[in-house]
Amino acid sequence: MKWKVWSTAAAAVLGMSALAAGCGAGTGAGAANNTTAAGGGHPDFKVALVTDTGGLNDHGFNYLSSVGLDRAKKDFGITTAVTESHAQSDYVPNLTRFAQQGYNLVIAVGFLMDSAVKQVAKQYPNTKFLIIDDDIEGQPNVTSALFKTEQCGYLVGALAGLMEQQKGIQGLNDKNVLGVVGGMQIPPVDSYIAGFVQGVKKTDPNATVEIKYAGSFNDQAQGQQVAQQEIADGADIIFQVAGGTGLGVINACKNAGVYAIGVDADQNYVAPQTVITSALKGVDTATYDVIKQALNNQFKSGAQYFDLANNGVGIAPTNSVVPKSIVDQVNQLADQIKSGQIQVSATLSK
Amino acid sequence: MSVLASPQLWASTLAMAVPLALPALGGTFSERTGVVNIAMEGIMLVGAFFAVTFAYYTGSAWLGLLIALVMGAIVAAIFAWAAIRLAADQVVLGMAVNIFAAGLTAFLLDTIFGYTGTPPNTPQLPSVDIPFLDHIPFIGAILSHQSILLYVMLVLVVLSHWFLFHTKLGLRMRAVGENPLAADTVGLNVWRLRYLGVIIGGVLSALGGAYLSIGILHSFDVGMTGGRGYIALAAMIFGKWTPFGAFGASLLFGFANALAIALQGHGVSPNLLQMLPYALTILALCGLVGRSTPPAADGIPYEPRR
Repeated sequence: MKWKVWSTAAAAVLGMSALAAGCGAGTGAGAANNTTAAGGGHPDFKVALVTDTGGLNDHGFNYLSSVGLDRAKKDFGITTAVTESHAQSDYVPNLTRFAQQGYNLVIAVGFLMDSAVKQVAKQYPNTKFLIIDDDIEGQPNVTSALFKTEQCGYLVGALAGLMEQQKGIQGLNDKNVLGVVGGMQIPPVDSYIAGFVQGVKKTDPNATVEIKYAGSFNDQAQGQQVAQQEIADGADIIFQVAGGTGLGVINACKNAGVYAIGVDADQNYVAPQTVITSALKGVDTATYDVIKQALNNQFKSGAQYFDLANNGVGIAPTNSVVPKSIVDQVNQLADQIKSGQIQVSATLSK
Repeated sequence: MSVLASPQLWASTLAMAVPLALPALGGTFSERTGVVNIAMEGIMLVGAFFAVTFAYYTGSAWLGLLIALVMGAIVAAIFAWAAIRLAADQVVLGMAVNIFAAGLTAFLLDTIFGYTGTPPNTPQLPSVDIPFLDHIPFIGAILSHQSILLYVMLVLVVLSHWFLFHTKLGLRMRAVGENPLAADTVGLNVWRLRYLGVIIGGVLSALGGAYLSIGILHSFDVGMTGGRGYIALAAMIFGKWTPFGAFGASLLFGFANALAIALQGHGVSPNLLQMLPYALTILALCGLVGRSTPPAADGIPYEPRR
């Protein structure tokens, strides 16, 4: 009978690997849906978007990039197409297909597509490529959009520190503990956290910042548990940098009557009383801007940095819990970062 | 040690044991009747999705839960039909259900709710505070604000044990899982009992999925079960195909998960700690608790002699 235990165990392992492969399995079968805006514009200018395995409902850069694409389509009347990648092996075929079909600009979302873009861009020198969150230099038809998320992390950190210092805000305790829930310990997440820690240090040097990772970007239940642990340790404002997992973090904060800070997009809509502000990463703005550049023959290869100074990153409007005086101080810090007076490091010192 | 004394650790252990114990219990029912069921993950996803959808559209989390259970039963019935009537390979079928459910729920989520996900005003099942327990210092902190489904799970564990080991029907279900030919000979309807086992399994798995989506949260995300259906499978084997065993194993996995969270930031790499529940799974499957013998006819389709 023993073989049965083993075959079931083998099936479980098989299942887990299938799950890992399928976790990016978004919708449909990778069919591109071409659409053209009605009337006028530039229907001959074709832009394609290829997501990474996160898919369009990643609550993060894939989604925001498609928002920017949609806005460009509306404003410029261009032709657009979107394809979701279900596995890393889809990247090259997806990019190649659009290049072959004569698309003017192909947008690759995410640093995971680095080698795929390098390879396809060499083969199709007449097609322009935009890669988000990754630095590709020396390829004349590739532009890279990079975000200084440590700057917006710094601002929400400074805001959280000021909130801790302020007396009499409902829901805040006097333990002076702040929480951070990261998705995974990877550079795009840690740059936010690094900024946050530096921001807190600036306005509330004695505060404890508790940093934990959920180990996933789509496990809300796990995010909730991690946040509850931090709340039990005294955290009363929690910054989530965890994509879909972060929705569980916000939910835990809401249930416990403490506050949360959103990430990437303005997440106040998730829980208006709880989410005091969000650290914004303007993937939509970047996508829109690069499409505009390409359309106007102003495409520039190499890295383009999106930071506070060019509104590539930012801080979302605060909710009513945050006093006006704190908002003013944070705005001053933002000006100091823009002018270069404050330098924010993107690496998390241990 | 201070980590172990924190009530939050134990509260988290309980909260994270629920979505493992329910499908593990479901798997136990299915496999006790002789049908290998690795489809818990998929059925959990289906349950989680339909719970949220119908909770949102009806405005009642309870109605959402009810529909989730019905959908779990339907998916399990289809699985059972193919596994029992068509005598298809049960492991392959289970994987098919899992892959199908992952695709279906992702597709329906995007189609119905769009890329922004489920609406934030979706209702949630209540969490309960038991009045007198609340005042006991340590226990109160562990049990306060737990989902009502935690208590449902505890009752179901006891009920399942009683049902499988102390009722006539339970005995019959176990009999067709051990020796279907003998059971058939004495006049038991092997197929019907197996259908019952698989469908109970589906309902319990869907309940586990609904716990994730509307029990402790009120939203759905693609792949939100995060492999818990497979951990539940390990818990079922670890628990030697008994309800109390499955519950105990789920508690252990829940504890490993909670401990991994609590220990973060104390100098151990978070990546290493996140391996803890999975390392435990491997140890469990390697026979840490001694020989784990499945029901004798587990996984073998039965052709009745007419």
